[in-house]
Amino acid sequence: MALVTAGRLRRRPRGAGRVPPLVLAFVLIPLLAEGFWVFWPAVQGFYLSLTKWDGISPPQFIGLANYREMLHDSVFHTAVLDTVLWLALFGGLSAVLGLGAALLLQQERRGVGFYRAALFLPVVFSLTATALVWQAMYQPDGLIDKAMSGVGLGSLTHPWLADQSTALYAVIVPALWRQIGYVMVLYLAGLKGIDPALYEAAKVDGATRWQQFRHITVPQLRSVNAVVLSVIVIDSLRSFDVVWALTRGGPYHSSELLSTYMYSTAFQSLRLGYGSALAVVIFVLAFGVIASYLVRAFREAD
Amino acid sequence: MNTLTSTPSTPGSRRQFLAGAGAIGAAALMSGCVTSSSSSGGGSSSNGGGTVTLQSNLSSPQAKSAMQDLVAAFNKRGKVKAGLNTVASETFRTQLPTYLTSANPPDLLTWYPGSVADTYARKNLLLDVSDIWTRPELSGYSDALKKLCTSSAGHKVFVPASYYWWGVFYKKSNFAKWGVQEPTTWDEFLALCETIKGKGVHPIGLGAGGGTAWVASAWFDYLNIRVNGAQYHRDLLAGRHRFDDPEVHKVFDTWSQALPYFDPNGTALAFQDATTALLNNRTGMMLIGTFFADAAPKDQLGDLDFFRFPIIDPKVPAAEEGPTDGYFASARTHRADEVKELMSWLATAEAQEIYLKGSSGTALPTNPQAKDAGTPLVKKGRALIEGAADVTQFFNRDSSDALQPTADTALTKFLARPKEVTSILTTWQRDAQKIWSQ
Repeated sequence: MALVTAGRLRRRPRGAGRVPPLVLAFVLIPLLAEGFWVFWPAVQGFYLSLTKWDGISPPQFIGLANYREMLHDSVFHTAVLDTVLWLALFGGLSAVLGLGAALLLQQERRGVGFYRAALFLPVVFSLTATALVWQAMYQPDGLIDKAMSGVGLGSLTHPWLADQSTALYAVIVPALWRQIGYVMVLYLAGLKGIDPALYEAAKVDGATRWQQFRHITVPQLRSVNAVVLSVIVIDSLRSFDVVWALTRGGPYHSSELLSTYMYSTAFQSLRLGYGSALAVVIFVLAFGVIASYLVRAFREAD
Repeated sequence: MNTLTSTPSTPGSRRQFLAGAGAIGAAALMSGCVTSSSSSGGGSSSNGGGTVTLQSNLSSPQAKSAMQDLVAAFNKRGKVKAGLNTVASETFRTQLPTYLTSANPPDLLTWYPGSVADTYARKNLLLDVSDIWTRPELSGYSDALKKLCTSSAGHKVFVPASYYWWGVFYKKSNFAKWGVQEPTTWDEFLALCETIKGKGVHPIGLGAGGGTAWVASAWFDYLNIRVNGAQYHRDLLAGRHRFDDPEVHKVFDTWSQALPYFDPNGTALAFQDATTALLNNRTGMMLIGTFFADAAPKDQLGDLDFFRFPIIDPKVPAAEEGPTDGYFASARTHRADEVKELMSWLATAEAQEIYLKGSSGTALPTNPQAKDAGTPLVKKGRALIEGAADVTQFFNRDSSDALQPTADTALTKFLARPKEVTSILTTWQRDAQKIWSQ
């Protein structure tokens, strides 16, 4: 679908002259490199998803059996539901809270740089290292349980990561803690790009703060939204490190995402064919969401 | 794909381009390049000067320096030189198939004998070292070890170096304070748990959380070899019985009797933290292998003792878990003679004593002439394994590394929801079936 619009955008008369060889080289050499390092392994991944492979013997072609297995695989169903939940909670909350933080911190005031830096700091840390710190906090008798007992909520203390009803949410928190800073920076850049004259004009017309936000800020941030959405969808679907470091998808698959299920199927159970099929599903989901959004965005741009 | 197809300027060239791309893709698929790619990556062996590469997964500081001492001692002997390449254990585990299928593989690798090694031997990935087993260095090894290191095709493919044991560990000072004795039968064990619970302490620590869920498999292994016997256990793990059989149900019924005495944080703490809980008197006992001593302060080790996992059915011969560690060589090594030289030296009493001196010292040497650390704990452990009717390895070693995650899921779920045991076992069987049918 993106192809159609891309074609339409390019429809402009071209000179009949030949393309200079240098330009051709600039196009072809990166294309070759990309083809070898990106598209070629991707094609291999698609092929592997149609096989049964243990990583040692030659893969056996089994057609669509891996995809048929998914239909009846309850762990796959859990992983899909958890991924949707993750996308909604992690994606939704990081977008809302990131925008909120950006709005709060956009005015140049004393000390605002400190707060921006503080919110952005988690992005700099490795997520695996972050997860280890959070794991210590979530432990029985860890910081969180101690703090809760301290304020009289001792009855709510909990093995947060070992209980199937709280594990997924306990993992989302550290992931959000990091993502909010990232989304905030994207929105801050977007807010900086809005012409202040628009707000002045609105004030002259007597617009309230809410009306300014609703009718100036939101429409003006449309291009940033496209970036934020892509970032969030991609980050949600590839969220792996924090889940793996904290729960490995457990206890008994209750915090399993498609990405962790793919990893454990491929590299722990050594079912690389089924693991590749899961990877293809992840790819289709990510590509589907992003492509449909881009198509809409381009249409509106026309 | 999107970028690819929109690049060419005219429809004609686009079509040609697509056809070309399709042809290249199809040709590559036909020729099976997908599989050949696996043999080009990962081989981290050095080719310089005919040095034998020893790829080791012993990455904890003590074990790593013990391995360095070992290789240095070998290199002092002259002729053949060896180089050590230590890889983080988790990376090693996932990369092992790549190491073995590589065209230029590491020559010698640390791993486990028995079923795990046989999986690779059946695919002709391991060097046949039957000839070094006839050398004097290995002549004194027990028949049990000989059997363990033999592949199903009848070749010796492994050289063992050390083993350790599992037991129910406790603090001597606590047992004295509570006025209790080591139990020998399951009923005595349950009565002991009741007494300890009465003192306000969680009787049984576990340590199956925080990335070490596999520790729970020790309970399954021991209950199964006590209730159904070691041979049934091995057959079950090899796929010759089913996890939803009545025999396995009986294992979980027995386990249920002890469940009220387990530490409620058993699946939330890693075994290192569970060790701390035992040492800090928050739990009374813990079924664990001697490797836990690495995580314990040295001055506390003297207060620790262990007893054999209680007997459940006196008619079943008492087998013990005695996991063996050692080395196998890649069948594709370019230096077979040098590798065998190193392997037979690693089997000597001299080499094994060098390793034990450098490591935490709770492991036992496989060479009958080699001296162990000599502490009362190690002596008791050695007697336990030497007196056992049969020796099993551990869940993943008696089956395969791929089957371990299915056990982790089933056992963690059982510990949280013991009432759902029937559906848990049905799921376990289905998951295991997928691994066995690989």
